[in-house]
Amino acid sequence: MSGAAGGVASVGRVQLKLRKTLKGHLAKIYAMHWSADSRQMVSASQDGKLLVWDCFTGNKLVAVPLKSAWVMSVAFAPSGNLVASGGLDNICTVYNIKAASPKTLRELDAHTGYLSCCRFLSDSEIITASDKLKRPQTIMFTNHIGDCMSLALSPDMNTFISGACDSLAKLWDVRDGACKQTFSGHTSDINAIAFFPSGNAVITGSDDCSCKMYDLRSDQEVIGYQDTSLNAGVTSLALSSSGRLIFAGYDDFNCHIWDSLKGEKVGVLSGHDNRVSCTGVPDDGMGVCTGSWDSFLKLWN
Amino acid sequence: MSSKPHSSNNIAHARRTVQQLRIEASIERIKVSKASADIMNYCTEHARNDPLLMGIPASDNPFKDKKPCTIL
Repeated sequence: MSGAAGGVASVGRVQLKLRKTLKGHLAKIYAMHWSADSRQMVSASQDGKLLVWDCFTGNKLVAVPLKSAWVMSVAFAPSGNLVASGGLDNICTVYNIKAASPKTLRELDAHTGYLSCCRFLSDSEIITASDKLKRPQTIMFTNHIGDCMSLALSPDMNTFISGACDSLAKLWDVRDGACKQTFSGHTSDINAIAFFPSGNAVITGSDDCSCKMYDLRSDQEVIGYQDTSLNAGVTSLALSSSGRLIFAGYDDFNCHIWDSLKGEKVGVLSGHDNRVSCTGVPDDGMGVCTGSWDSFLKLWN
Repeated sequence: MSSKPHSSNNIAHARRTVQQLRIEASIERIKVSKASADIMNYCTEHARNDPLLMGIPASDNPFKDKKPCTIL
């Protein structure tokens, strides 16, 4: 891929400015997810709270107290009415945040392992990742050997991709639950996974300190993103709206920016005082949010 | 023998694995050169609509703190 991209114009140095620092959590932030309106965002911290933010003003809109503080994942429903979270309690809890005070709607507790990631398909369907992937209705996805750490829905919502501690990424059909493709190459746990916006490729980030792009239609890795100076594992990643920029959060407290086509580092977002645990770009592509164990969320563009 | 149910579990598991591998091996694949070209084209087509690539003018930036203007 980097050979083929030789003719593409370079993006130059990407310098994004810190626009806002969202303060409010009292402990490590483990997960964040943008709302479909590209304005609200929900974050989860092991201080036992979910906070819903208005990112244009920096104000907190809703605080959801959690039964269990050991939260690892949070998701915003496409409608913006619901959020879900889960973690070491092995339960995925869905909350109605439009109610006068946040109400627990459902508790999905058929998991045998901790909940590492969850994503809404709609207000009534959610995919959750634990040691097995599950949908609350009937379909169970049981192909990973190691804990599944991350999942991402395809843009057309017909498939999703999961990354696990067995260093494999797998593509699943949402409706029939079949594993359609498996991608190997990483040498350690895959912590982060995202779809390229066209839906034809996925990007993975791993504890082996590298990210990779796998193309779905040719069923193989097409480019790797690694640098000998980077010795920290990748915790999270997000793509800009055209797919050209990859924002990868690392254990070295930074979020490094990669040119997805040329495989080169083109920038860095520095400012956190601890590991960057989560990264997200809203649907309108107007910025990047990084969340960290330093308890702050930062908005950049 | 007490190990028999265990070994038949292993065989069943191995069968499922082989079955899955057969399914995955039989999918239709396109050439990497075409796949790469498609990805590159997608990026270049959408580049001008990517605010993080193109930059955002201060007046349109929703995250930038707006300071009130004082007219002297």
